[in-house]
Amino acid sequence: MSLIAQDAPGKTILLMGNEAIARGALEAGVKVCAAYPGNPSSEIIGSLSSAAEAMDLHVEWSVNEKVAMEVVAAASFAGLRSLCSMKQNGINVAADFLLNLNLTGTQGGLVFVVADDPGGISSTNEEDSRIFAKIGNLPLLEPATFQEAKDMTLWAFSLSEDLGLPVMIRSVTRVSHARGNVRLGALPRPITKARFDINRPRLAFPPFPNHKALLQKMDRAKALFEGSPYNLYRGAEKPELLVITGGSGWMYSLEAVMNLGVQDRVGLLKLGTTWPLPETLVLKHLKQAETVLFIEEVDPFLENNVKEFFAQHCMNLGLKRFYGKASGTVPSAGEISPEIVCSALQSLLRVAYKPRPEDYATRAREAAAELVPARALGFCAGCPHRATYWAVKKALALDGRQGFVLGDIGCYGLGMGPSGFFQMKTIHAMGSGAGLAAGFGQLGRFGLTQPVLAVCGDSTFYHAAMPALVNARYNSANFILLLLDNSATAMTGFQPHPGTGRTATGKEAPVLDLKGICESLGAKVEVTDPFDQRATTEAMLKFLQDEEGVKVLILKRECALVRSRKQKKLYHVEVDPERCLGEACGCNRLCTRVFKCPGLYWDRATGKSRIDEAICTGCGVCAEICPASAIRKEVA
Amino acid sequence: MNRGLKGLESKVLDRGQCAACGACLSLCPYLRSFKGRAVKLHDCDLSEGRCFSYCPRTEVDLEALHRSVFGKGYEDIEAGPVRRVVMARALGPALTKRAQNGGVVSALIAFGLDEGVIHAAVLTERDSELLPQGRIAKTKEDVLRCAGSSYVAGYTLEALNRGPWQGQERIGVVGLPCQVLALARMKASPLEKRTPVDRVDLVVGLFCTWALDYRPFAGFLKERFGDKPIRKLDITPPPERLLNVTAGDEFHQIPLDDIRAFIRPSCQVCLDMTSELSDLSVGTVEGEEGWNTVIVRTEKGEDLMRLAEAKGVLETRAYPEDKWAHLKEASILKKQRGLNALKDAQEKYVTLPQKVIDAVLKEVAP
Repeated sequence: MSLIAQDAPGKTILLMGNEAIARGALEAGVKVCAAYPGNPSSEIIGSLSSAAEAMDLHVEWSVNEKVAMEVVAAASFAGLRSLCSMKQNGINVAADFLLNLNLTGTQGGLVFVVADDPGGISSTNEEDSRIFAKIGNLPLLEPATFQEAKDMTLWAFSLSEDLGLPVMIRSVTRVSHARGNVRLGALPRPITKARFDINRPRLAFPPFPNHKALLQKMDRAKALFEGSPYNLYRGAEKPELLVITGGSGWMYSLEAVMNLGVQDRVGLLKLGTTWPLPETLVLKHLKQAETVLFIEEVDPFLENNVKEFFAQHCMNLGLKRFYGKASGTVPSAGEISPEIVCSALQSLLRVAYKPRPEDYATRAREAAAELVPARALGFCAGCPHRATYWAVKKALALDGRQGFVLGDIGCYGLGMGPSGFFQMKTIHAMGSGAGLAAGFGQLGRFGLTQPVLAVCGDSTFYHAAMPALVNARYNSANFILLLLDNSATAMTGFQPHPGTGRTATGKEAPVLDLKGICESLGAKVEVTDPFDQRATTEAMLKFLQDEEGVKVLILKRECALVRSRKQKKLYHVEVDPERCLGEACGCNRLCTRVFKCPGLYWDRATGKSRIDEAICTGCGVCAEICPASAIRKEVA
Repeated sequence: MNRGLKGLESKVLDRGQCAACGACLSLCPYLRSFKGRAVKLHDCDLSEGRCFSYCPRTEVDLEALHRSVFGKGYEDIEAGPVRRVVMARALGPALTKRAQNGGVVSALIAFGLDEGVIHAAVLTERDSELLPQGRIAKTKEDVLRCAGSSYVAGYTLEALNRGPWQGQERIGVVGLPCQVLALARMKASPLEKRTPVDRVDLVVGLFCTWALDYRPFAGFLKERFGDKPIRKLDITPPPERLLNVTAGDEFHQIPLDDIRAFIRPSCQVCLDMTSELSDLSVGTVEGEEGWNTVIVRTEKGEDLMRLAEAKGVLETRAYPEDKWAHLKEASILKKQRGLNALKDAQEKYVTLPQKVIDAVLKEVAP
């Protein structure tokens, strides 16, 4: 039974923010849900897929965010309620469609959730997605609590239908990934019939009248937001300091104000409908305070937009002191915390505040270390990517022309660090390695003699690398694409993709064969198993010597975590201490010092390498690289 | 001062001073040869390693090495220790066709294997792309496959390190002066060996004035002759200064000056033309096609020569005095060139007593 599909109105349960959002969609009678996985948004579609059968939904992992947005827009055009979700990078991909969809408007409620990753904890970038609501003239909601996450989502659908516009919900990591109590509402089971009204075409063209109509819709949104219960004020009528906040900033601000005991001096204006801003409400509170502090994550979105109001109305508002990111009172990058809000309040109110001791972080880490084993940021034991980069390192060294690998985001992005032997030299957006390679692959005529390689994962290939490959083939670029086919969207939680033969709801799907696709594009294609180091290195060397056109080397080996869930170890691996050369000349700890699979460890006492039985997944690659044949593998 | 891979990198590999002898290869997973280059695959942080210890371009104490091989220091400054020098040629017809000059090396090794003087020989074979590689020869057919020279240095000693070996074989090695030098260093190294170098029982050295770097030379030949297989390369003796190339069915002559740019930089600091640290040294005879010069240096070398002569494997002739003087002159000139080059070099690899250096430099060619 799906956690979020409980038919228990009034019951309070513990939900992750993303589950609360998904529950809100179910309570709104959502029918079609689509997304490309990306942290911290992935659990929204993940949990909806588990409710799909019970609630009769179409839930899919789409190949990318733009397609996901198009899939849910179709449902909306046909009168159904639909939801799509993405991380902050995702909206960049979806934006092209979104910034036309705003002009054509929607029918059935369409809600899209963008979960931002302040600090870029699991992202290549730190980005505030809210700017897209402003660019696109779209209503924006920011839940501050878990209950709000559910309730706002539910409301967003009727708001969308009311305005005829897609509604954006912006979450952040600490809303999406934390858990809190949520009181459930009723679960409707609407009987809906999809139908596209051919008398009402959805044409963005001509833009001018559509743009005008959009602005009128937003004027209505502004009026609706003035009275929204998601905007609230707490504090004295004329506070010494007005804090304007929203989203995760609300709880941090509450906590800080309580910690400092400055409830009487600080007024908290919490905004839940953050675009368009409820102007009247904001101006009312702005008038009452001389000093204003903004608390929000990533960009100064509220800060700048409130300052716009001030510029417009300053004659009526009097002089103000604004504090926030522009003043440097609050950091402009990285996550916000109650600690940061405390320091800001303390400096503005000059209250005695004992900041946490300087060694707090160190002590916290030490305390955590007793509970959690230390783990470097790197590939898992038995990860095929480590084997791939090992072969890349060897092949590029042997080739000797300073070849380099262009990468993108995915587990294999760790190729930029020690566990990928620092082989990956660029990381940007999905598929950008292949795209950059299509460019580098043209530079031979300008004297570039270095071999050009790109890596992309199987899921990334469908997402954004295919157009780059088509482009490269059409324009005769010269490079090698290393297609790391681990049969999973591993980094975001093993979601299925078109190569896996499964849909988001676990149904069988046709496998879109990577080799066949690449061959049909006219690329030279080879497939090797990265665990077979010899064959893989040789295939790379062969391609390195072929200076014509697009070469694709598919490195096929299932993700070690996926494999370990369904079958036992491939090999039982053991180190023969008699043969292990250890630190002696001839080895010098190749396996534990250079290859560094976490399944191996260096036993200081004996001066020999050993297998960590609990961690080793039995891939057997270390047995291949051991120069003394001291590591033995036997079929398990 | 690091005497491991780091030292080897900074002193030799990064400076283009690798002689391509192969002594550092197949000892560990950190170094590999690929298309005529020694390539570092990973960093090694050992302060002392065999790669550095064996290399003929790191720290070479010639005085001590001569002592370890011949029981006396670097005394015979003209062309190393000499018991006798003869002209020789192989008597079997099969050898002379493919081999260089008189085919003496191939004949001697094949004979040594036949007679059980050695059980295996580490030789150099060149593949269809001319890439030279160390090979272990155990039969006459194996030896024939390795006959002839491509004037390209090629990691011969890698085969000695790599094996496979049974564990008891007596081994012969045929090598260039740098390889013979490396072999002496391998034997003399105080580090734990784990290679069969102590079973190397016969060292046949080749004469060499320089060797070519594989990649640029192969590129040059490809540009000149396309995909035609290079069947034989031969340098004509002075004063012609030509490289004879048999490409497919065609015969071409290339002025040596055209290929000089491909000479390995490490050859410029080499002090040894005649492979002095060997049992026997073999080379051409100026002005005598079809014959080899053989310098017999040790008792072991002498025994093999005598046996080969007695069994009719080789035909020998007394060495003309004027040619011997010429050979020694060429050898001394090479030493002088090398010592002069080393004067200007940032990294010096040779240790020799100053009085020996002075003596070499003062030696006036007859």
